[in-house]
Amino acid sequence: MNSYILITNNPMVKKNLIEKDIFFTNKSLLGVLIECRNHIHKGHKLLSHPLSSSVKPNETPFKSVLISKSASNLDYRSLEIIESSILSTKKFISNAPQPKWPDKILDDFMLIDYSVISNTIDSIK
Amino acid sequence: MRLEIGEIIIDDVQFGNSTKVENGTLFVNADEIKSIVLEDEHISSVDIDLAKPGESIRITPVKDVIEPRVKVSGNGGIFPGIINKVDTVGTGRTNVLKGCAVVTCGKIVGFQEGIIDMTGPGAKYTPFSKLNNIVLVIKPKEGLKQYDYEHATRMAGLKIATYLGEATKEVTPDTVIPYETKSLFEQADLYPDLPKVAYVYMLQTQGLMHDTYVYGVDAKKIVPTLLYPTEIMDGAILSGNCVSACDKNTTYHHLNNPIIKNLYEKDGKEINFMGVIITNENVYLADKERSSNFTAKLSRYLGLDGVIISQEGFGNPDTDLIMNCKKIEDEGIKTVIVTDEYAGRDGSSQSLADADPKADAVVTGGNANQLIHLPPMEKIIGMLDYVDKIAGSFDGSLSEDGSIVAELQVITGATNELGFNKLSAKTY
Repeated sequence: MNSYILITNNPMVKKNLIEKDIFFTNKSLLGVLIECRNHIHKGHKLLSHPLSSSVKPNETPFKSVLISKSASNLDYRSLEIIESSILSTKKFISNAPQPKWPDKILDDFMLIDYSVISNTIDSIK
Repeated sequence: MRLEIGEIIIDDVQFGNSTKVENGTLFVNADEIKSIVLEDEHISSVDIDLAKPGESIRITPVKDVIEPRVKVSGNGGIFPGIINKVDTVGTGRTNVLKGCAVVTCGKIVGFQEGIIDMTGPGAKYTPFSKLNNIVLVIKPKEGLKQYDYEHATRMAGLKIATYLGEATKEVTPDTVIPYETKSLFEQADLYPDLPKVAYVYMLQTQGLMHDTYVYGVDAKKIVPTLLYPTEIMDGAILSGNCVSACDKNTTYHHLNNPIIKNLYEKDGKEINFMGVIITNENVYLADKERSSNFTAKLSRYLGLDGVIISQEGFGNPDTDLIMNCKKIEDEGIKTVIVTDEYAGRDGSSQSLADADPKADAVVTGGNANQLIHLPPMEKIIGMLDYVDKIAGSFDGSLSEDGSIVAELQVITGATNELGFNKLSAKTY
């Protein structure tokens, strides 16, 4: 049984990582981060960095984040990281909104996010 | 460990019948280069072009930049664990073709892989506009996956840089610069009254197109460890990082790390340069805890008084940077962090995605969100069809006349976080 929940809006992650504890959402990248923050407020801990990859949050539409399956007291460090990640994401979006990407590029973004989160899951296992 | 760097000054590059250096001109045999690159079955074709300082040329999308080097004496060969056997390097003599580089181009993914302008306003922001570049535009076999395309492109650049180094091995260098770091106790005894300083070298290690290799090992799988600085000058650290053109460390940056060079310059005068601690920038937060615990522990173990920490990338690495800084400071060791900024177009926003009061000594490589206008160039090497898909550009970035309005982050090396550029800021 996994010790984590994977929150993602990346269809490639959903398709290839057959996870029992996957939380798939159709929301934007910012929506994924806010979903993570909601879980953190309920006592889940952040396990992977929300600003993973050097692809900027106003470029890639896709994001996958790992949080702990168990929940206890509010973890302030998790809250600190998710809040500054949300702040950073909003800053980038206000600079320039995400372009309308062709499918080929969307596939590339999915692949990068998938690679990064797969490597992270390998670290946990 | 003592290494002499023999610099052969190259002030021109031309195609020729054989690869050689004559009176400061590097002649390259394009057919030989082509046949070496095409040994890789994943590559369908390679275009070889030359780009010199001042020419009206735009190179894009740039993947890596590599300086040709060869070991003339001492253990092992350049790029150990990848091109040569995994021998320990960093001793003897290494010759460098100074003033030229191999640049690899390929549209591995459809976005953000960097621009080098050889003239105009963009040229001022990249150190590679000052070099005589041998550019390889690498096209993959039909259907090749991104992982394999990245690997093939990376290997092609390393092989050609090695080939150029080997072909000019007998040339007498114009200058020879020695660098030496002694064994730990000897080094500490050498300048007992000077503060002991080391360098914590953070390497990009997040996954596909975000990787760095140390003696052939994917650095996301290492725990922080010690290197002699001269090992890095012999190619012990290689770039597999193709994302975020402005602040990624190309292989050229690793070979010529200016922090290492500056620490050597001050060694024995202002400080005692004790060595390099390499560490990674993983995504799993527990990996960050472990790695930053190790950098703090090693700093303490070495009895350091001060540490310089450089990061590579944005966002996720900001957290590693701050964790390294805070934990090393908690050991009673002073730190200086080296980074760049994403501070919004007007520079007024929060620069990093993490912070701590202990990070009170910061060197910046500039604001990557700054807007820049790049006029059209007469010649494009590579392909322009993805320029409005590069980090920091946006829909409509590319005008019909070929000019580009984008953020500084489109330019390879513009805000490099080792300080290998001209941008910075001073607070008085």
